[in-house]
Amino acid sequence: MDIDNISELIPQPVPLRDIDDSPGPCCMSFGFDLNPLIQSIEKVGLINPPLLKRDNQGSITIIIGYRRIKALKSLKADGAGCRILSGDDILPVECLLLNLYDNLAVRKLNDVEKGMVLARLIPWIKTLEIVEHYMPFLGLPSNRATLSSYLKIEEEMEVRVRESIACGQLSLRNAIMLLDIDSISRSSIIDLISNLKLTVNQQRQLIEYTVDLSHIQGRPIPDFLDDQSIKEINSDTRMNNPQKGRALIRYLRMKRYPSVSKAERKFKKMISRLNLGKTVKIDHSPSFESPYYRLEVLFKDGQSLREKLENFMREDIDSLRDPWKKKK
Amino acid sequence: MDEGVQKYKSTKSILLQLKDIPVRAEKDDGPEEVACVSNELKRDMGKDTMHLVSYQGEFLKPCPGTKEYICCGYQILNVGTNCPLDCSYCILQTYFNRPNLRVHVNLEEQLGQVFQTIDSDPDKIFRVGTGEFTDSLALDPIIRWSETILRGFSERKNTVLELKTKTANTAGLLGSKYRDRIIVSWSLNSPFISCREEHGAVSLTRRLECARECQSEGFTIGFHFDPIIQHSNWMDEYRKTVDLMDKYIEPEGIIWMSLGSFRFMPALKPIIRRRHPETSILDGEFVLGLDGKMRYFKPIRMELYAFLNELLHQWHPDLGLYLCMESNEVWQESMGWRPETSEGLGNYLDERVRNFFG
Ligand code: SF4
Repeated sequence: MDIDNISELIPQPVPLRDIDDSPGPCCMSFGFDLNPLIQSIEKVGLINPPLLKRDNQGSITIIIGYRRIKALKSLKADGAGCRILSGDDILPVECLLLNLYDNLAVRKLNDVEKGMVLARLIPWIKTLEIVEHYMPFLGLPSNRATLSSYLKIEEEMEVRVRESIACGQLSLRNAIMLLDIDSISRSSIIDLISNLKLTVNQQRQLIEYTVDLSHIQGRPIPDFLDDQSIKEINSDTRMNNPQKGRALIRYLRMKRYPSVSKAERKFKKMISRLNLGKTVKIDHSPSFESPYYRLEVLFKDGQSLREKLENFMREDIDSLRDPWKKKK
Repeated sequence: MDEGVQKYKSTKSILLQLKDIPVRAEKDDGPEEVACVSNELKRDMGKDTMHLVSYQGEFLKPCPGTKEYICCGYQILNVGTNCPLDCSYCILQTYFNRPNLRVHVNLEEQLGQVFQTIDSDPDKIFRVGTGEFTDSLALDPIIRWSETILRGFSERKNTVLELKTKTANTAGLLGSKYRDRIIVSWSLNSPFISCREEHGAVSLTRRLECARECQSEGFTIGFHFDPIIQHSNWMDEYRKTVDLMDKYIEPEGIIWMSLGSFRFMPALKPIIRRRHPETSILDGEFVLGLDGKMRYFKPIRMELYAFLNELLHQWHPDLGLYLCMESNEVWQESMGWRPETSEGLGNYLDERVRNFFG
């Protein structure tokens, strides 16, 4: 059978119990919700017959239609009309590509699934071709570093982490940061991320600060995250999740950057001593790296500006200084 | 080696040195297929493989610097990239897509071009160094740069050549007859950092012994405290290094000493963590600098510099101390003066060159 003629294959009934539905070498489905498909099959039946492969020993694996078979099995169906190829008719790489094109024609793959595709292509296709052809095809930047990260996620990450990526809870960039730590530490970080529903930015900070602090303090990450202060934030019933998330990041940042945090606090205190009202604001540069501070005045016209500036000048502005410097 | 490099003199002499080492000629296909399939960063960065290449870029290039901070206007002579040493803080670790010890074997043939550039601007002083993308002397026993490049620099009045190292490979230099306008300099650190983070480098004492020998053999010498790293007992530790310097070195013969605190592109951090899991150099409070690099929080930098400035100043008041890539504000607070612009710093260092070499 020529693979160009697959559409001409006549579907034939296959008992579902004979079909191996473990995620095989062609599978590129992960972290999906089966319910819409189940409902659709319940309503209108199976529209597109899955494509299966029967090998010389008679065992049947799925080339296309992994989710459909899963849905049918969960509906407790006995069998389904499927197209079947013999193992001799098709090369493993052809099975893989058939499934890839079939999937991409009907849906977007999530990041874990993209990693699955890339990992399955590696044994068959030259790295350069994967980078130049298949990565853009999957909507990925065409470079080796990205390929490397996707493969690592596929090869090394536990199911739980991959589930977080697939459902969009954990960003891929942050997942890449987790690659460098051990699985127990990863798991305790993922716990916090999912309990507090941290934003992408907070996830990045959480990972960065905890990895750094565990190095600095010479303590394993799970041990560090078990600190009383973190537990208290986590279990504080007066705060909702976003508030807890912010409190946690604030706490970790203070631990990781004590001098910067101290300077920020002192600066805030210095400014609060001036009576600036709501329309005048003084800010420092990020981490005080620039030597300049910024004064912002909200005014309606020239006269109101003059008044505000005159009021401002009456304040003790000579007391403003870099917060790490001693009072003159 | 790349195809076609056999014709260069340098290739022949290197191959003679490495008679027992297997050699393979191959096409340079650009970035090597980094072992991304097995998903491994090249942990050793190919430090056990020498790659002889014919470099097609410009050999003499200004140090990129940045407009946000004051830089010294140095010129880089690009003799090769990567280094057999393995300092945990080395920025070359980000170039892992260009692994191996890449030696630019067409350097000798291209030196004419380099000197043409230098000669075309006789009023400008070209402060040139080879130690930006590699250690200047680590491979000298094999490549013998000291035999090929010293003469041209030594003979010109508007240039100096600085060879920056953490090794004791000075035999080639000492055997050469050129001294004038050649500066041999050593990167120094605290004993704590030197022992734990500068893998493959010789001890501080050995560096200073070599510096003393070079000094007594008529070379002008320089030192670079870069990267300065804040660590436990850092003051006592850096003091130990200055005490050692006092023991070995005549400070009058030092043309300059730079001070630079540890800074790095954010992309280097995960690489350091992977390649040097035991390191403590990332423990400090690093913030994003105006040039996109991570650097110590400003008051920490000021404290580090001010301490070393005072310590070194007490040792000798005229060491040509300068800060590498810092702001006027940090200069003023820690050094007590500021060069205002990169040009100002360049002029200060040019003046040192004139004072030392005429
Ligand atoms: S000696 Fe210089 S070039 Fe070599 S590894 Fe150390 S920092 Fe990098």
